[in-house]
Amino acid sequence: MIALEVLVRWAHLALSVLLVGTAVSILLAGRSDRPTALGWETRMLDACRGLVVLAFAAGVAVLLLQTALLEGRRAAALDPGALRRVLLETRGGHVWLVRHGLLLLLAAFLAVPLDVRRRVDWRAARGETALLGLAALGAGAAAGHAAALPGALAAIATDTVHVLAAGAWVGGLLPLALLLRRAGRAEGADARPLAVLAARRFSRLALACVLALVASGSVIAWAQVGSVAGLVGTAYGRLLLGKLALLAPILALAALNRRRHLPALGGEALRVGRPAMRRLARFVAGEAALALAVLGLAATMGFTPPAAHAEPDWPFAFRLSLETLADAPARAARALVGSQVLVLGAVAALAALVVRRARWPLLGGALVVLGAGAAIALPPLAIDAYPTTYVRPAVPYQAASIVAGAARYREHCAVCHGPTGAGDGPGGLRLARPPADLRAPHTGQHTAGDLFWWITRGIPRAGMPAFGATLAAEERWDVINYVRALSAAHAARNMGPTVEPDRAWLVAPDFAYAVGPTPARTLKDYRGRRVVLLTLYALPGSRPRLAQLADLYGSLTALGAEVVAVPTDAAPDALRRLGAAPRILFPVVTEGAADIVAAYRMLAAAPHAELLIDRQGYVRAIGRGAGLAAAEPNALLAEIQELNAEKVPAPAPEEHVH
Amino acid sequence: MRAWKAAALLNLALLLGVGWGYVFWGARTARLEQELRAARGAAAAGVERLWQVAGVVRAIVPEINVLVITHEDIPGYMPAMTMGFRASAPKIHEAVAVGDAVRFTLQGVPPNVVITAIEKTR
Ligand code: HEC
Repeated sequence: MIALEVLVRWAHLALSVLLVGTAVSILLAGRSDRPTALGWETRMLDACRGLVVLAFAAGVAVLLLQTALLEGRRAAALDPGALRRVLLETRGGHVWLVRHGLLLLLAAFLAVPLDVRRRVDWRAARGETALLGLAALGAGAAAGHAAALPGALAAIATDTVHVLAAGAWVGGLLPLALLLRRAGRAEGADARPLAVLAARRFSRLALACVLALVASGSVIAWAQVGSVAGLVGTAYGRLLLGKLALLAPILALAALNRRRHLPALGGEALRVGRPAMRRLARFVAGEAALALAVLGLAATMGFTPPAAHAEPDWPFAFRLSLETLADAPARAARALVGSQVLVLGAVAALAALVVRRARWPLLGGALVVLGAGAAIALPPLAIDAYPTTYVRPAVPYQAASIVAGAARYREHCAVCHGPTGAGDGPGGLRLARPPADLRAPHTGQHTAGDLFWWITRGIPRAGMPAFGATLAAEERWDVINYVRALSAAHAARNMGPTVEPDRAWLVAPDFAYAVGPTPARTLKDYRGRRVVLLTLYALPGSRPRLAQLADLYGSLTALGAEVVAVPTDAAPDALRRLGAAPRILFPVVTEGAADIVAAYRMLAAAPHAELLIDRQGYVRAIGRGAGLAAAEPNALLAEIQELNAEKVPAPAPEEHVH
Repeated sequence: MRAWKAAALLNLALLLGVGWGYVFWGARTARLEQELRAARGAAAAGVERLWQVAGVVRAIVPEINVLVITHEDIPGYMPAMTMGFRASAPKIHEAVAVGDAVRFTLQGVPPNVVITAIEKTR
């Protein structure tokens, strides 16, 4: 099925591109009344007619296949009801209708015999052909991956530029080669001036198209791939690498044609030009063949999930990370020296591009220096990596997951890593290497995917057992969320009740809660809207402070803050226990309290604790103890004002741990 | 026919097609919006409504005959929130205390609605 899909989509794309390129190259060559040139033009117009029909047919095949895939059954491809649904109710269907409507118009336009003896008429007729072809090709971008991106309009525009540039350049190669071949024959002398002119114009257009392709391609790759892991670790990224690998020889050929073969056409038309023309025709045809292969990869990428949405499978046993230099001065020094050598090599390479004399020795030297620089700078940056290193956790960083992870941890890991993760469990005593302190920065430098790999496969040489068979994947992610919370708690142990301006680092685990019969809400619902004062309280000690908060509630709301009170005993009748006085009107959690308390107690282990969570979802201050009531009540308002005054808020944390 | 005329006609037809599509969709959204507004208007325009709503009593202010209740969604009127409602009779609040889970009847022409009955559910 996949092979068929690749084939059909490739055929449709290649035919559409050839159609556009043919129409554009007729326009580019211009009108001529020499017999050979006219013969070429007639042939190309015939080709256009054939290409429209074939592209339309391939488009129908794509539609049938797509319908069968969407409906999940083969028979759907021939079921009129299913086809109508796909055409009328999906975005892809609408775009398909528009594009194939344009192709039909183009076919009709090409079928009508038109009188093109006058220059205006010729231009109008050929221009119209190119215009309809370009519109039919470009409209496809509205149904591609770009349409799914945020800010779709700009992304679609970029995609359109990309595909149109590809169409005009790649599609025009073959018609140009044919023109050159005809003009290169002995009897084609009359078309030679036209061919030379066309080749020059095409060369200029191709340069512009390549620049547009590279620029738009980089933007698209940034949006759809976005990371090295996505590039080397996903099907989409690898297809992109394949495309680039094929593009390199095409560009080399193009450069050769532009710098060697094209100037050679400048000679006296009759003798000097002919062999050069035939050589150029051959090289251009070679370029075209490679380019058609690139289109195959592009068509496959069209229905491969973009790398940014796929889980990367890291292919190397190491990765490069600047974090390895954090507290290793010797390695940092070596990396620094290496980077300076690299700069030297880059300067030499640039000089080789600018200076004409001694270019090759200079370039060779530059390459050697670059190699040496890389050999010095990169090894200190290398750190072990595994296939799952860049996998995103399947379970978000949430209180419920942390609590589930804590249970698994106590059951399986605490024997060795100790109840608080310090690596001081009794099970570790008999091991060759002491179990790792999971709160140490060393563990923090590894990705969640690294942890997943270790927990799944174990670390045999250190005596750390494998849990792939004991714990389900989701349970392993729960444990990882718990381990992350452990080190967060360790790092947060000194956080106090005052906000440190512009330093947001402690991610507040998300949680869900409900008050009475109201629908469940989450902490994340407050993102970008409210500062949240998460108050874990215990009666009766907390009563004075709660009374104070109830008093302040009007001012707090006015400052854009919400108080969420969580009874630490998780009593379902918490509201009744609070009683009628003072009047507490902020949310008091009656469902979900247990998980919230268990997860947040890790950060603040007092009977009464208040965590100030900013609008991005970071804990910014922690107050401990009911004695807070004795403090000046306006202190809290001042902290919130501090948060409100922050100019550049930190980017919202990701849903998952790293 | 002269080719330039054919091309011009074709492009004109295309432009008209695009324009028609644009106007058609515009008209469609306008119609939908109008229907929505009409529906909202009917809700607002003085029709008496009645709801059964679940909630928790958060505070009672007998002096002004108001109950503050954290309540679920009230369809067509307001989302779930904590909010004060007037009672239709002074005695109504006596059946409940702060912290009680309740079910109450809300009646009136929005936004002038009152609690006409309330009972404990647990
Ligand atoms: C039999 C004892 C033992 C048990 C049980 C155990 N570990 Fe380990 N763990 C180790 C040892 C030993 C190391 C290796 C320390 C080293 O590499 O120097 C280790 C290393 C690790 C590391 C790597 C830390 C780093 O920064 O290199 C992680 C993460 C980890 N363990 C998590 C867990 C989790 C989660 C569990 C429970 C599911 C668990 N371990 C159970 C003994 C154990």
